[in-house]
Amino acid sequence: MTLAEKSFADQLERAAGVEWRPAGEPSFVCALRAAGRETFLRTKLPTLKHEDWRYTSLAGLAAQPFGPAARARVPAADLPPAPRLVFVNGRLAPDATDLSGLPAGVRMGSLAAALRERPAAVEPFMGQVATTRDHAFGALNAGLFEDGALVDLGDGVACAATLHLVFLTVASGAPFAAHPRNLVVVGKGARATLVESYRGEGAYLVNAVTEIALGEGAQVEHDRVQEDGPQAFHMGLLQISQGARSRFTGQSIALGGQLARVEARALLGAEGASCDLHGLYVAGGKQVLDHLVYIDHARPRCVSREVFKGVLDGASRGIFAGRVHVREGAQKTDASQVNSNLLLSEDATVDTKPQLEILNDDVKCSHGGTVGQIREDQLFYLRSRGLSEALARAMLTWAFASEMVQRVGPEELRARVRRAVTARLPSGSLLREVA
Amino acid sequence: MRKGTYTMLSIQGLKAKVADRDILHGLDLEVRAGEVHAIMGPNGSGKSTLAGVLAGRETYAVTAGKVTFEGEDLLALAPEKRAAKGIFLAFQYPVEIPGVGNMYFLRTAFNALRRARGEEELDAMDFLALARERMKLVKMDPSFANRSVNEGFSGGEKKRNEILQMAVLEPKLAILDEVDSGLDIDALRVVADGVNALRSAERAMIVVTHYQRLLDYIRPDHVHVMANGRIVTSGGPELALELEKRGYGWIEKEPPARPAAAEARP
Repeated sequence: MTLAEKSFADQLERAAGVEWRPAGEPSFVCALRAAGRETFLRTKLPTLKHEDWRYTSLAGLAAQPFGPAARARVPAADLPPAPRLVFVNGRLAPDATDLSGLPAGVRMGSLAAALRERPAAVEPFMGQVATTRDHAFGALNAGLFEDGALVDLGDGVACAATLHLVFLTVASGAPFAAHPRNLVVVGKGARATLVESYRGEGAYLVNAVTEIALGEGAQVEHDRVQEDGPQAFHMGLLQISQGARSRFTGQSIALGGQLARVEARALLGAEGASCDLHGLYVAGGKQVLDHLVYIDHARPRCVSREVFKGVLDGASRGIFAGRVHVREGAQKTDASQVNSNLLLSEDATVDTKPQLEILNDDVKCSHGGTVGQIREDQLFYLRSRGLSEALARAMLTWAFASEMVQRVGPEELRARVRRAVTARLPSGSLLREVA
Repeated sequence: MRKGTYTMLSIQGLKAKVADRDILHGLDLEVRAGEVHAIMGPNGSGKSTLAGVLAGRETYAVTAGKVTFEGEDLLALAPEKRAAKGIFLAFQYPVEIPGVGNMYFLRTAFNALRRARGEEELDAMDFLALARERMKLVKMDPSFANRSVNEGFSGGEKKRNEILQMAVLEPKLAILDEVDSGLDIDALRVVADGVNALRSAERAMIVVTHYQRLLDYIRPDHVHVMANGRIVTSGGPELALELEKRGYGWIEKEPPARPAAAEARP
């Protein structure tokens, strides 16, 4: 057993005790944890032999002796506007949380508190959306989560305010692991814009699971912005289940961490659902930024769109696996997938893997992608007008990435992402007032 | 300043190649301030290579010769330094740059040149006023300001955009590479009017073209004919008319007249 497996196993053994605590959790949570514990102890950390992990080695993670999450004060990070829930090292930070402006019909708070106070609201959904079998990190999260967000919109509630979930991780001493778990339930015809932000400093693992259930005709925009610290490991599992004619638009911006993996898995389980899952990864140094997107077209007349872009500098690696599964009964499926990558150095690499599994004839499916470098003719054009080579390269790199930044809906967040992305581009500081 | 008061650009024995193919075989040319030189010639004669070499395109390798601009060795300078010295190339095929706004790009270029020259930069508002005024010169729809550089522009719009850039950046030496290619007569007139408005005693232009038609609108002071990587004959505007009548075939058969460089030298 690797160090990480041993420390996680120890944590799981201790956590297993919750089942017999007198003021313990509801039985469905105990069952979820037990199943997670059993699964993780069986699967262990995936190796390169695992189909889903062929390009991403967890050796660095496996060598870390992670302990449980330490208590920490809220760092003076710039926080998004209310309504916001702020978690530090996997636990709710009430001082930083601000739920003012939360509209009627929207409930937003600590999942742990909801499990104590109104478990019946959680039971039908928790663990039901994230049903991926034998998923080591999902299992680990189920076994070890302490808290996270519960967001709940009643039928027909249109929430204009952007709901922010902020996950700060501060590791000042020994490395530790936090396993935030979120559940978002959006009722029939309800509308919400939701932002998950991850930031931190020090050596840690953040292993997050977010389950989102959309009722019939619901509409959700979801932005996930990962700016973890340079030593961090980040594992994110986003699991979406969509009702009939519901619409989900998701965007994953991956910038931080030494190794970060986001899996977005959507089940289009009712007719006429549409799902856009987009993303941008910007890596440098020896960063590894990995995305796996799985879209399960289980029912007819569903639409899915994927556009992922990567900018890779230094000796960084980008990985994109896009899997579209069109089931037998899913006639009139319309699915497209594009993954484009810009390599800024000779040592940067990208592995891109489209996988279409189509089990009926009446579908429209496409995939495409590119791996390229900055074009000489564009570079010369800009330089011939007086831009330095560094500025011209920064401008062209930004031009490539900006399409994805523009897709970020909330304006305040878009500005933040724009700053964060340009700050990571080579000579990005030369860019001013980028459009 | 009177026309032709000093030699702005001097090219001597210029040889250049692309990949392993020699294109320019010893080219001489002198351009004085205020002059407009037309360079004509059949396809493959090296006209566009000359334009690219002067602007500093790195895909062209200079193998021999000297180019002096305002007394300075031009070939030693990076493209952006040449731009700062006042050289501007209007591209035959303007490059599309999706994701970079036209005005943002132009303002960045404008201010980069100002910085390089130790001049004060213009803020966004002042620049916009300047750009709007220059856009009228090429009858450009203001909506083009907010579009990505050349993306989805028609051939004529791209060429107008080149002339707009020239009007804003105000170079000392403008090299127009086949600025007439792909233009209908109305677009040609707009582009030529823009170019003519920018003629001045302090500015020189090299107009590269395959066809005499453009020279009906932009009257050159000198016309040079290129063949096989050299200037084989030079003359006044009447030379262009002769080419129009007789085509390029006779150039290679008859012994060329004295090269332009010798003619223009004092």
